Amino acid sequence: MEKVYILSSLPQMFDSLLRDTCGLSNFWAVLIECVLVGLLVLAAYATLAIILIFMERKVCAYFQCRIGPMRVGPWGTLQVIADVLKMLIKEIFFVDRSDKLLYCIAPFLVIIASVGTFSFLPWSQGWNVLDFNVGIFLLTAISSIGVIGIFMAGWASNNKYSVVSAMRGAVQLISYEMSLGLCLISAVILTGTMQISGIVEAQTGPWQWLIFQGHIPAILAFLVFCIAGNAEANRGPFDLAEAESELTAGYHTEYSGMGFGFFYLAEYLNLFVVSGIATTVFLGGWAPVNIGIAAFDSVMDYIPGIVWFLGKTFVVVFLLMWIRWTFPRLRIDQILKLEWKYLMPLSLCIIVLMVICVSFGLTFTING
Amino acid sequence: MKLEYTVFSFDTFKEEMTKLRDAKHFDYLVTIIGEDFGSEEGLGCIYILENTETHERISVKQMARQIGNDYVIPSVYYIWRAADLMEREVFDFFGIKFLGHPDMRRLFLRNDFVGYPLRKDYDMSPEHNQFPMTDEPETDWTSEWNLNDLGELVETKHRLFGPDDYVVNFGPNHPSTHGVLRLQTVVNDETIEHVYPHLGYIHRGMEKMMEAMTYPQTLALTDRLNYLCAMHHRHALVGVIEEAMGVELSDRIHYIRTIMDELQRIDNHLLFLGTCAQDLSALTAFLYCMRDREHVLNVMEETTGGRLIQNYYRIGGLQADIDPHFVENVKALCKYLRPMIQEYLDVFGDNVITHQRLEGVGYMNLADSINYALTGPAGRAAGWHNDVRKNHPYDLYDKVEWKEITGTGCDSMTRYMIHINEMYQSLNIIEQLIDNIPEGEFYIKQKPIIKVPEGQWWFSVEGGAGEFGVYLDSRGDKSPYRVKMRPMGLTLTGAFDKMLRGEKIADLIATGASIDFVIPDLDR
Amino acid sequence: MEDKKQSYFGEVGSALKTLATGLKVTMKEYFTPKTTEQYPENRKTTLHVAKRHRGRLVFKRVTEDEVNDPQIQKRGLKVGDYKCTACTMCERACPNDTIKITSHMETDPETGRKKKVLDDYQYDLGDCMFCELCVNACNFDAIEFVNDFENSVFDRSKLVLHLDKEKYQGGSLPNIIDGGADWSVGTFNTKTK
Repeated sequence: MEKVYILSSLPQMFDSLLRDTCGLSNFWAVLIECVLVGLLVLAAYATLAIILIFMERKVCAYFQCRIGPMRVGPWGTLQVIADVLKMLIKEIFFVDRSDKLLYCIAPFLVIIASVGTFSFLPWSQGWNVLDFNVGIFLLTAISSIGVIGIFMAGWASNNKYSVVSAMRGAVQLISYEMSLGLCLISAVILTGTMQISGIVEAQTGPWQWLIFQGHIPAILAFLVFCIAGNAEANRGPFDLAEAESELTAGYHTEYSGMGFGFFYLAEYLNLFVVSGIATTVFLGGWAPVNIGIAAFDSVMDYIPGIVWFLGKTFVVVFLLMWIRWTFPRLRIDQILKLEWKYLMPLSLCIIVLMVICVSFGLTFTING
Repeated sequence: MKLEYTVFSFDTFKEEMTKLRDAKHFDYLVTIIGEDFGSEEGLGCIYILENTETHERISVKQMARQIGNDYVIPSVYYIWRAADLMEREVFDFFGIKFLGHPDMRRLFLRNDFVGYPLRKDYDMSPEHNQFPMTDEPETDWTSEWNLNDLGELVETKHRLFGPDDYVVNFGPNHPSTHGVLRLQTVVNDETIEHVYPHLGYIHRGMEKMMEAMTYPQTLALTDRLNYLCAMHHRHALVGVIEEAMGVELSDRIHYIRTIMDELQRIDNHLLFLGTCAQDLSALTAFLYCMRDREHVLNVMEETTGGRLIQNYYRIGGLQADIDPHFVENVKALCKYLRPMIQEYLDVFGDNVITHQRLEGVGYMNLADSINYALTGPAGRAAGWHNDVRKNHPYDLYDKVEWKEITGTGCDSMTRYMIHINEMYQSLNIIEQLIDNIPEGEFYIKQKPIIKVPEGQWWFSVEGGAGEFGVYLDSRGDKSPYRVKMRPMGLTLTGAFDKMLRGEKIADLIATGASIDFVIPDLDR
Repeated sequence: MEDKKQSYFGEVGSALKTLATGLKVTMKEYFTPKTTEQYPENRKTTLHVAKRHRGRLVFKRVTEDEVNDPQIQKRGLKVGDYKCTACTMCERACPNDTIKITSHMETDPETGRKKKVLDDYQYDLGDCMFCELCVNACNFDAIEFVNDFENSVFDRSKLVLHLDKEKYQGGSLPNIIDGGADWSVGTFNTKTK
């Protein structure tokens, strides 16, 4: 019995519009859809980046007793657009004796990894752009391309800060992928599928979000995921690669204009992607809040999935910003100690606990 | 204190100095003052030493021996390690070569600078002092000078950087060097092997400038040293001139100066707590400190008219009487600040990450702290009772009740906590005085042209980051013959190499943050 | 120093507690009033500038009250005249050569006494380091610093002022000479109206 939520049939309607109403052949219909979806993804990527950067500025300002940008546009809303324009017209320079090829490729690798993972996010029921049966697996694989970009940027810049930063970035990202993956596996154990749409589908219904369904192990997994995800997104207190007070700007010290812009974009979108995945896997993705009371649930079901998804994601984003703007940065050995001494063992325990819960039917479900 | 020199002969100088340290416990080298005593006497140095048990101070004068065109004095580098940068400074300005000093390079000026500018015969004409348009030549080598058996000067070359060393320059333009300090750091992966500080990127030659200025004019420069301790700097210079002239100040002046010094200390410590957090990337904690520092500055500005450059003390008193609302404002400020200090601890100081980052980092034990002359909170963190306010009280510090804060941790975390506790002490001092400011003159009228009687004086105050002292040599003119300032940060920077060997790059930043140096102060 | 020997879990627990304290503080500050003062939006409304702030040097003019002062009367000054006698004490006191005074000698036709007359009092605001030594040196109470701080111009030559030629009217902002808006310790004038 599959429940159908509001707006979930929109892609099908559009598909049939092309095929049936306009009478296009399979090739043309698929082509138009691909181009359109590609444009939509990039547009959403850019828009979200602007929103996120603006949000970061305001949120961080409010944590710091400031009011943030106020001058460009009402309440400073056009500030980021002004910044983007500035960045576009900046001179792009090359560094002497740098490895030109790697230097040029690096920002693209970072942005490709970021857009790639971004495309996996389930916006609403049936609104998945990429939805493989090994979705989670592929997601972690694609996200690790970004490390290569960071490493290449640092190495190719012919700058000592950048090299140190690249080493730090690589060792940190590779370490934290471990617990990130383990947390995702615990979710896979619970839902029994690696397909992202399947994982969200399993969380529809009253109290079916994974952190409710999987209770203790799932909540722990969610927390570990947030910490590891923060580290994956290279954000404070784990922004060692950037470490502006030690390595000026780390691996992107030598980039200007849009080269720097790509790193900057990717950083914010990675924050969104991490929060999005956390939402998808643990907070029910686009699934509305259902508490088992029919009247309440049906009202909630009328709110489109994309609103739920964005709402939950931004809550997680806020949470991560709150952490970012409260804590000082760790040192490289401490960051590795945290991962290998605390988070890794903890995520292994979580998996064991989750397996026990699932196999003995100790999960929290209402309609079975 | 008026200086009464002890003089040793050139050949026994080193033994006598060693005896002073070992037998008489003079183990704190306050400063070395190079001076050109005039064409008859020649070049020489004055060493100011302190006995760390009795806090007695003595001064030793040693004239340089001329060998050909060179002037030499035996180095005290191996007796007091603090002499490292001090002797390099004297070499830089006077060209006195210190025999046996292993790293005799220029300190503030460029490697290719010609001449020794603080000698009295230095050509000050603009044609001779053109701004160089070329890059400074860099060298991997340094020199050690010694006398051989024939009494000739021989040079030994030492290599600073090997061909395989990975050298990272922290600074001169770097977010965490609090100005323009350049630390040439040899690293192995993330581990530091050596730190070589390069100074002089904001060197303004203040001591030379003062020789051409009248006494009131010299005051205008001191606020531009460590701009967070403007009051302390000027207090030291005003203090030495007043002591030399024998000016008697009214009680009101003493009260106001003590309160202002402590307000300035709070201002300095607030900025320290903030930048310490910022260097560890806790920008939020930084802004909380800056927010509250704003209130301190506002209170001071109402009276002094300045925020960084206070311009408040003058020879014979104060620039202006306190603002009519000063007393109530200061009381409100004290009431506001006390709970806020707990907030800095909550958001940053007690945080487990901060403890992890600072504990055991930049370790410097008591013996080393004294040997390297780590004054101020950095030295007190190792349990060294070095507070000038206790040891050589000036103004009202011997009349108010307050505790000298010392610690035993010897590390950066202890230094941070000492700053926190000193703020409470400063508030205590202010609260004791603020209600009792006596009526009286705020300025004792001086002659229009101020002349200081002949002699040499030394006066030091406790600045925010350590002892700040001023040496004044007067020949009875309206301008000083020689002024030498003991900056707070010079010895702190000199200790970097010792503190940081074997630690991580991030620890360099953390130690720098906890040690509280400000470059305009140590460059002068 | 507390007891440092804690169990693995005790360590984690107390660590998490300190982290939670930090988060609590920042969340509290998120909702407390902000501190940003919005200059220039507030320049004519809530801006406070300390009265003693040194913004620039001006000539003091003889006021209605002062005109009966015997010293002033002896020199024959009227209301609105400057008090400078071109004695160059301030010029000599200045460590920066900011002040340049030109004058000539004139014989009073009535008394026959020779007197210095000021031709030009040039003050280079761009060179001034606001040390107040000139004010201290002045024996005639002729100059003072005011807190008028909006002195930026696009051309450095415009910073060279001739104090005797200008009639200083109290700066660009209303009431700024008296300190502007009220202010109290522990608060910020964050509003713009």
